[in-house]
Order: sequence, then structure tokens, then C-alpha cells
Amino acid sequence: MAVEVGLSTTTPLRRILALGGHEFSSRPPDRAVCELLLRLAGERGGERPRICILPTASGDTSDQIASFYSAFGERHCEPSDVSLFRLGRRPMALRDHLLSQDLIYVGGGSLLNLLAVWEAHDIASMLSLAWRQGIVLAGQSAGAMCWFEAGITKSSGRPLAAAGLGLLGGSLCVHYNNEPERRAAYLDAVGDGMPAGYGLDDYAGLLWEGEGAPSALTARRGARAYRVSSREGEVAESPLPARFLPAPAPAALREDIAEFRRIKTMRKRAGWLG
Amino acid sequence: METADRQIVAFGGGGFSMESGNPLLDDYVLGLTRAERPRVCFLPSASGDADHYIVRFYRAFSAHRCEASHISLFRREQGPSDLRRHLLSQDLIYVGGGSVVSLLGVWRAHGIDSILREAWESGVTLCGLSAGSLCWFAEAVSGFHGEPKRLRGLGLLPFSNCVHYERGSKRGEAYHGFLREGMRGGYAAEDGAALHFRGEELHRVVASRPQARGYRLDVAGSRVVEMQIATTFLGDRDAPHAAPLPEALSTAPAA
Repeated sequence: MAVEVGLSTTTPLRRILALGGHEFSSRPPDRAVCELLLRLAGERGGERPRICILPTASGDTSDQIASFYSAFGERHCEPSDVSLFRLGRRPMALRDHLLSQDLIYVGGGSLLNLLAVWEAHDIASMLSLAWRQGIVLAGQSAGAMCWFEAGITKSSGRPLAAAGLGLLGGSLCVHYNNEPERRAAYLDAVGDGMPAGYGLDDYAGLLWEGEGAPSALTARRGARAYRVSSREGEVAESPLPARFLPAPAPAALREDIAEFRRIKTMRKRAGWLG
Repeated sequence: METADRQIVAFGGGGFSMESGNPLLDDYVLGLTRAERPRVCFLPSASGDADHYIVRFYRAFSAHRCEASHISLFRREQGPSDLRRHLLSQDLIYVGGGSVVSLLGVWRAHGIDSILREAWESGVTLCGLSAGSLCWFAEAVSGFHGEPKRLRGLGLLPFSNCVHYERGSKRGEAYHGFLREGMRGGYAAEDGAALHFRGEELHRVVASRPQARGYRLDVAGSRVVEMQIATTFLGDRDAPHAAPLPEALSTAPAA
């Protein structure tokens, strides 16, 4: 019997994870998001996957970069950052670096600036190639909308429609539950002919793996992903069934810190400390 | 009707970003405004609107001598909502250092490029260092990252420009190469030197350090002709000259 070797076996799976909003904190839903990112990266990169943050949309703020390293620095992975505003201090071969990653994570901020700076540095073509090579693309907020044809950005102050890279068809609106004015602008835009798409609450996400519809995920009870579409001018939102991502146990405390906390608790109980 | 005095002061490097304790270039540009309490707006776009840089600007341009503001294009929800109105109401627009490629990209996205031209034409003095100097010219040599690159700026000044033009620098070598390959002639400035243009003409070169110079570069046949320009030191020549303090900067001195 002939074994059929199709092209599909050699074409890497194209994967994008779009998140409505999260932080890199030690809170349970944030830990759940980190765990998912590590898992996706590990499925491609094995034991020590390479994970790179592009903090461009924030203007490469130290805060965003530091919180990324605090989330991934002690984990089984090789974290790095590509800070386009800091290349002067730390030159790097952008293309080689990006294409050697297992997962590229794009942080939040200004969608307008993100795309403008990427265009100036020719990053878009590198990301599109990375995606086609099976490198997972991920991000939250502006870093999620950038993969779509369009999004709703507050880059200029009030929420306005803006174009993205268009790797994914349709549109995305983030922080859906938290920012009613952004959601309202999105519903208006879809009603006015913006390509239909999705709304994502903070801690909700959509994962595309290859062709077909994405799967919805949620890291916090109640956080939802919505399909947003327009039929004859009527815009409809329908929540998507989502898989819950449980938070992993917090990383074990270092022995000395644990000891310190035990003593502090004892002292507190004894009334030595306020 | 008299046309507005169009002025640009392009620092090779210097001012509060690079010369802590030496305010000569910053004082010079403030003085050009002839306003008692000039309105000065800082554009830190080339640094990605780095917080520490904005803080240092406000320290250098304190409230007792000017009315300072800044525009963060990464945080548009704060600050003036009408960028054009705000920029056109200034006496001086001061552009910080960093990545000139990113600077131009972000400016285009927010329409700042055309607003700055309008500001210049209406008499707002424009200045800046490094990336904030290169941006005003038709062509520029950027050495921000990796090998020096040739790129197009806003083109208010129809010349090429090279900053941090120190003796034996890679940028200088690259600039000569680009000129031989057809880049238009232009100007270079060392750290501490500033090219002051009125209209499209170079008016004078001033410096915050006694040795800093500006240069004119042209191509004759396949030969680059470099000419040092007489430079006015803005300080007291007899005073002991303190070496500029190196600043722990992330982005400002690059371009």
C-alpha cells in the first residue's frame, strides 16, 4: 500500500493566539495565560522553547519588558526582547533573531504606532514569514489586533478603526467588557461595513491552529469571546463556547523567602508587627 | 506681508540629553524665540516616549524660564488632543534623540510630519539633537543600529546631514561613501556643535564645547570636499571647561 506523503505533512501549522487583555503578574489568570504561552512555544521548541517579546506598541517601556522577564525568566524557556527603540544600545540581527523563535509575543500599547514602527523597520514581512514557518504569534490588546485586517484602537485618544497586518481575516476588538466606548465604536464600525470579527474580554482569547475557526479560551470565569457580525445593518454579538484554562500552582517559593514569610506570620500572630 | 522667520537648529549632539550641566545649546535655542516666557514642546518620539527622558526635559526646561510641554504619541489619551493646534502655538519645538527610523514612522502615522512643516513655515523654531537633527533634512546618515544607513528625512532642508561627526567615526566614513554614491551634499556636526539655519540657508554654527565644529560636505567629481565651518563657542572661552558628564542614557545620543 502506498503511503501518501502530502504537502500537508511538510507545511507547518500556522498558529496565532489573540488575547483580549492580561498582564504578566502572579495572579492566577495571568499565570494561566503564561502557562498557555509556554505550552504553545514548547509544542514547537521542546524543552527550552525560545520566546521573544516585541514591546513596540508601548514604545519599548522598561515596565513591559521587565514584567515579561519576571514571568518567563525562571521558567524552562529562553526569553528575549526585540526593542526597536533600543537597538542603538544593543544592535541585533532582527530577522535572524525573530525567525529563530518558537513564539513571538507582541505587547499592548498603541496599534497605530506599532504598525508604523514595524513598517519603518520592515518587521511585518518577517512576522508573516515567521507565521508561515510555524512560529507561534501571540499578543494582547494592540498585540492581538495587529494580526487582523482591522481593529479598534485608542492610539489617537478616542476609539477609532485602524488597519492591522491582515494575517487573519476579519476584525478584532479587545478589552470588550472593560471599555464600553471601545465596544460601542466597534459595533458601529461593523455596522458601517468593517469586516466582521470578534470581541474579546480581558482574559479571553482565541487560538487559530491552521485553517478553520479558532477555539475560544478563557483564563478567568466570566471572561468571554464573542463573534460579532452584521446582517443587513443589524450587528449581532454571540458568545462563543470557551475552554477554561486553569491557573497552575504558583512557583515554589525560595527556601529563604518561605522562611521569612513563616517568621513574619508568626510575629504578626504574636502581635509584634502591625 | 513679511514672511515668518523659518529657523531650524540641528545639534550634532548635545543639550540636556547629552550634556548634563552644560545648558549652552538649550539656552541658545530658547534665546532664538525672543519670547519672554517661550512655549517649548518636547517630542520624545524617537525614544519611544521614554519616561526618564521626559522627566529630564522638564528639569532642563523648568517653569521659571519657559512654558514647557511634551507630546507622547504612545500615550495619546493624555496630553493635548489637537496636536496641530498645540504644535502651532509653540515658540520652540524640541525633538529628542533615539531611532530616527522609528521617529519618522510614528510621525507619519499621526500626521506630525506635515504639522511640523506648517509650524516651521509659520515661524515656530525647530530644533533637536541626533535623530531630532537628522529628521529635518532631505537625506540623513543614521548609525542608530548596525551599519550606518542612508535614509530620507522630512526634507525641510534640502541637504544631507550626519550627526555625532567625531573624527574617525564609522558614520563619517559612511557619509563620505554615500556622498560618492550620489547622496546630495550637506552638513555634519560634531557633538556639542549645532547648525543654525534661517530659511534653507545655514546662518551660523554654534557650539557648547570650544573644540566642537560643524562641516560642509560636497562632491566634486568623485572626490568628497569637506570644509570646516567657522564655529562660535557659546560659553566663556576663559572659563575652565568642564568635560560633559556622560549620562546613563538608553536612547538619546543615538540616531
